[in-house]
Amino acid sequence: MAIRIAVLGVLAVMIFCALFFRLWALQVISGERYLEDARNNQIRPYRAAAPRGSIVDRNGRVLVSNVPGTLVQLWPAALEGVPEADRDRMLRRLARLLRIPHREIRAAVVAGESDPLTPITIAESPSEQRIDYLLEHQAQFPGVQIAQTHLRSYEQGGIGAQILGYVGEVTKPQLKTMAKRGYAPGDRIGQTGVEATYDQYLRGTPGVGRVYVDALGRVTSPRQFSQLPEAGNNIRLTIDAEVQKAAEDALEYGIRLAIEDGEWAADGGALVAMDPRNGEIIALASNPSFDPSVYVGRVSPKELRALADSAANHPTLNRAVSGVYPPGSTFKPVTALAALHEGLVQPDELIQCTGKEVIDGQTFANWDPFANEPMIMTTALAASCDTYFYQVAMRFYVREDAPLQKWAKRMGFGRRAGIDLGPEEAGLVPTIAWKERYFKHPIDKIWTSGDSVQLSIGQGDFLATPLQMTRFYALVANGGKLVEPHIVKSVEEPRKEGEPPVVLQPYLMKPAKDVGLDPTALRIVREGLYDAAHAPYGTSASIFGSFPVAIAGKTGTAEKFVRIPGYQGLRDQAWWCGYGPYDRPELVVCAVIENGGHGGTAAAPAALKVFEKFFKVDPESYVSRIGYSD
Amino acid sequence: MATRVETAARPHLTAEIAAFLRHLDYLLLIVVGGVVAYGLWVLADVTRHDVPGEADFYLVRQSVYVVFGVIALGAAAAVNPDVYRRLGRVLYGIALFLLLLVLVVGDDVRGSKRWIEFGTFNFQPSELGKILLILFLAGFIADRARRLDEWKTSLATVALGLPPMLLVFKEPDFGTALIYAGAITAILFLACVPWTHLAALAAATALVLTSLVWLLPAAGVEVLQPYQVDRLTGFLHPDVDPSGTTYNVNQSITAVGSGGLDGRGVANATQTKFNYLPEHNTDFIFSSLAEQRGFLGAAVLLLLYAVVVWRGIKVIAVAPDLFTATVAGTIVFALLFQVFINIGMTIGIAPITGIPLPLVSYGGSSMITTLIMIGILEAIHVRGQLASRR
Repeated sequence: MAIRIAVLGVLAVMIFCALFFRLWALQVISGERYLEDARNNQIRPYRAAAPRGSIVDRNGRVLVSNVPGTLVQLWPAALEGVPEADRDRMLRRLARLLRIPHREIRAAVVAGESDPLTPITIAESPSEQRIDYLLEHQAQFPGVQIAQTHLRSYEQGGIGAQILGYVGEVTKPQLKTMAKRGYAPGDRIGQTGVEATYDQYLRGTPGVGRVYVDALGRVTSPRQFSQLPEAGNNIRLTIDAEVQKAAEDALEYGIRLAIEDGEWAADGGALVAMDPRNGEIIALASNPSFDPSVYVGRVSPKELRALADSAANHPTLNRAVSGVYPPGSTFKPVTALAALHEGLVQPDELIQCTGKEVIDGQTFANWDPFANEPMIMTTALAASCDTYFYQVAMRFYVREDAPLQKWAKRMGFGRRAGIDLGPEEAGLVPTIAWKERYFKHPIDKIWTSGDSVQLSIGQGDFLATPLQMTRFYALVANGGKLVEPHIVKSVEEPRKEGEPPVVLQPYLMKPAKDVGLDPTALRIVREGLYDAAHAPYGTSASIFGSFPVAIAGKTGTAEKFVRIPGYQGLRDQAWWCGYGPYDRPELVVCAVIENGGHGGTAAAPAALKVFEKFFKVDPESYVSRIGYSD
Repeated sequence: MATRVETAARPHLTAEIAAFLRHLDYLLLIVVGGVVAYGLWVLADVTRHDVPGEADFYLVRQSVYVVFGVIALGAAAAVNPDVYRRLGRVLYGIALFLLLLVLVVGDDVRGSKRWIEFGTFNFQPSELGKILLILFLAGFIADRARRLDEWKTSLATVALGLPPMLLVFKEPDFGTALIYAGAITAILFLACVPWTHLAALAAATALVLTSLVWLLPAAGVEVLQPYQVDRLTGFLHPDVDPSGTTYNVNQSITAVGSGGLDGRGVANATQTKFNYLPEHNTDFIFSSLAEQRGFLGAAVLLLLYAVVVWRGIKVIAVAPDLFTATVAGTIVFALLFQVFINIGMTIGIAPITGIPLPLVSYGGSSMITTLIMIGILEAIHVRGQLASRR
C-alpha cells in the first residue's frame, strides 16, 4: 500500500510540474507573441437573421412580407480604446452623414457598452451614395459595417396594424426569459399581435458563423456558416383582407356619422367580424390605428413618442380584444336567455313597458320616456324596452344564487375569450362577492336592487370586450355553442408566389362548447333580434330592414365615465351586435363607437358596411336610412 | 435505570462531538475554502460581461451552490464511512437509476442529455454518480481483500464499473466517462491488485481505444462521433483546421499566453470579453483566469490544488482500513485527474473534453459533489485519527 501511495504522490508531483512548466512556457516565455495574437484576433462571431415568414390573409393575399434592406451598424467593441475626443468626432461625422441626431447615436452607443459583441443599428436603408461613401472611407469610421437584412413590408398599406403587430429588437427583460429558446441579443422578434404570438413559426432559424476582420473591424473574408439561416414559415390568417379594409373604413364612417350627429367626443372604436360556426375571425378592427412601418428598421424615437402621445388616443391599443366597455342594451339578450331558461319569465308573458320605473325609492328611466304598453319578450327585445328588463331584473334580485351572473359567466363573460392574439382583457361580471372584495366603504360593499337593475341592461360595473360580445352573439347564432375565437388558420411552408401552399400545421381548435341553453329560450331571443332589425318598432330596422340578406341584431347605448383631454363625464358608447343570414348564420358582427352616442346612429351603419362587403351587396341596390333610437 | 442511561448518554455525545472536531483536518478545510473563495472571485471577474445588465448573475447563483455544498460537506464528514460500505449495493443502484433516468427525461442541450431539470436548477447525475460508484466499488473490492490476487476479483470490479461509465458515455459526456475510467483504475491500483492485472487492463484499454479511434472507423464501424475522435486527437496536431475543431484550443492557448506574467486585467482581457473563449464560465474558466490574472494568478490556484492533493494523500495514509484508504485515494486521484484534464485541455496538453474544473467552474452539481468528496475525506481522517488513538 505504501508503495502505491508513493506512486500516487509522484504522479501528483509530475502533473503539477507539467502544468507549471507549460504555463511558464506559454505565459512568461511566449507571452508577448500570444498577446499580439490576441490583439489581432481576427475571428468574429457572426449571426445572420433568417428571412421572416410572410403573413397572408385567408385567400392567400400577402399582408406582410420581407424586402431586402441595408443596415448601418456599429461594433461597440471597435470603439474600445479609441480616445474619447476621436470617438465623439467620428460619431458626429456619422450623424451628419446619415442625417440622424447625434444624441440618438451617442445614446445607443452608451446603451450598447455593456455588450460589446452586439452590433448597434444606427441607420436603416440609407441612400446608395451614403453607403458608397461609408465603404470608401472605412478607415475613418472604425467599427462601422454595412449589413444586409430583411425588412418587414406591409403590402396592404396599414390595414390590420394591431392584428399584425410589429417586429422589434429583443429587449433585455425578454432575453432573460427567452435566451434558452435560442434568442440572442440583437435579434428582431415579434413584439405585439400575430408577429409576437406566432414568432416561433415566423422567425426561422438564424444563421451562425464566423467572419475574419482586420484590426479596424473591417470584414476581410466571406462568411463561414456553421449553421445556415433557415427561412421562417408563413402564417395564414382567418382574416379576409377585403372585409378587414371594409371594417376599418366602417369605423371611420361610424365615427363621422356620430360627429355629424353632434357627438363631438366620438374618437375611436372597435369592430369584430367572426364566423359563428367555427370562431374564425374574418375582420378585427380598432380605431384609431397606426402605420406599422414606423417600426421597420431603425425606429425613430420621435415617431414613437408621437404614437404614445395622449392626443393620438392610443393607436397601438387593440380595442377589440383589450378595450373594455359597458355593453348597454346589446347585453339584454343575455338577461333574456337567463330569465327564460330559469323560468323567471314566460315567453308570452305581458309586462308593462313604461317611461320610467321606481325601484326601492330610486327612479330608473326608459330610453323612450313616452312608452306605455304591455310587451312580450320578443317585442321588449326588438323595441329595447329598459323598464321591461328592470322588472325582470327584480326577479333575479330575489334569487339567492345570482343566476344572471352565473349565466353571463357561462356565456363567456368575465374571462378571456382565448384568442391567439394578446394581450386580452377579461372584462368584469360584478357579483356579490366581487363588491364585497372590491369596495372599501361598508355601504358600497352591499349588493342592491339597483345593481341588479343596472346589470340587466349591461350597465353599472359590468364590462366586456367587443370580442366577448361577438362570441356571445355567435352563441345565439349557432344554437348555444361557445366557440374559440382565433385569427390564424394555419402555419405554411414558405413558397414562391403562385405555388400552391403546403400546410405544416392547421390551427388546432378546441371543439365549441354547448352551454346547455333551453332551445325555446334561444328561439325567442333570436326572434326578438330579428324583429329588432325588421319590425316597425325595431331599433335598427331602418338600417337593416331593406337589406337583401336577413340580419338579426341589437343596438346598444351604454353610458360610460370617460376622461378625454379637456373633458370628463358620462358619454354614450354606441353599440351594435348581430348576425346574418338569420336562418343559417355565416357572419357575426359587433361594432362599438367610443363616445358615439346612439347605437342605431353610429354603430349599426358601421356594421352594415361590413355585411355589405361580406355578402357582396351593392349599397346602391337597396334603400337604407339611418334611424334614431337606442 | 432509565434516567441513568439518559444522563450518561449526554456527556458521551458531547465528548464524541468534541473528538470529532478535534480530529478534523483543518488545513484541508482551509485550503479547500481558499480554492472556493478564489474560484468565486475568478468567476465574478470572468462573467462580468456575460449577462448584459446583471454583472453578478453567475456569482450569485454559484454562491448559493457553495452554501448548499458546505452543508453537504458537513453532513458527509459526520457520516461514518462504514455506512457506505454496508449500503454499497443501494448506492450503486441509485447511480444506475439516475444515469438511466437522465437518458430518458434529460434536457437535450446541443445534442447531449446530461441534465435533469429541477425548477431553475439543472442536476447532473453523472457528477453524483461518480462518488456513488467510487464508494460502491471500493467496498466491493475491500470485501474481497483476501482474494485480490485472483483474476476474478479484478475482472468483476471492472465489469461492475463499466455500466455506469458506458451510460455516461452514451449521454454523450466523454470527459466525465474518462474520469469514471480513471476512478475504476485508481480503485484497482490502490486496493493493491497485482501489477500483472493492471498491466493487462492497460493493454486492454489501449487495444479498445485504438480500435475505436482508428481500426473500427477504417472498417466502417463508427462507435465514437467523428467530432469526438477529432477532439481526442486534435490536441496532437492543433494547426490542421484552425477555425474548426481546434478553434477552441487555439483561442484558449492564445488567451492563456496573452495573460503573461501578471495578466491583462478584467477590462483588457479581450479573449474572454469578446467571447472568443467559448464556455468561459465552465469548461474554459481556467483560460479566462490565466488571461485576466496571468501566470501569478494561475499559479495561486495550482498551489492551492497541490496542497489539497497533499492533504488528501495524508488522509490515505491515516485511513483505518483498506476500504477507507481506497475511497480516499480514489477521491484524491479523481480530483487530480480532473484538474489535469481540464487545465491540460486549456493549454493544449490534454484532449478537449467538457469537464468542469473542480470547485471553480460554474455549476451546482460539480461544486456540491466535489465538496461532498472533501467531506468524505474529512470523515475518513476523523475515523483514522480516532482508531489510532484507541
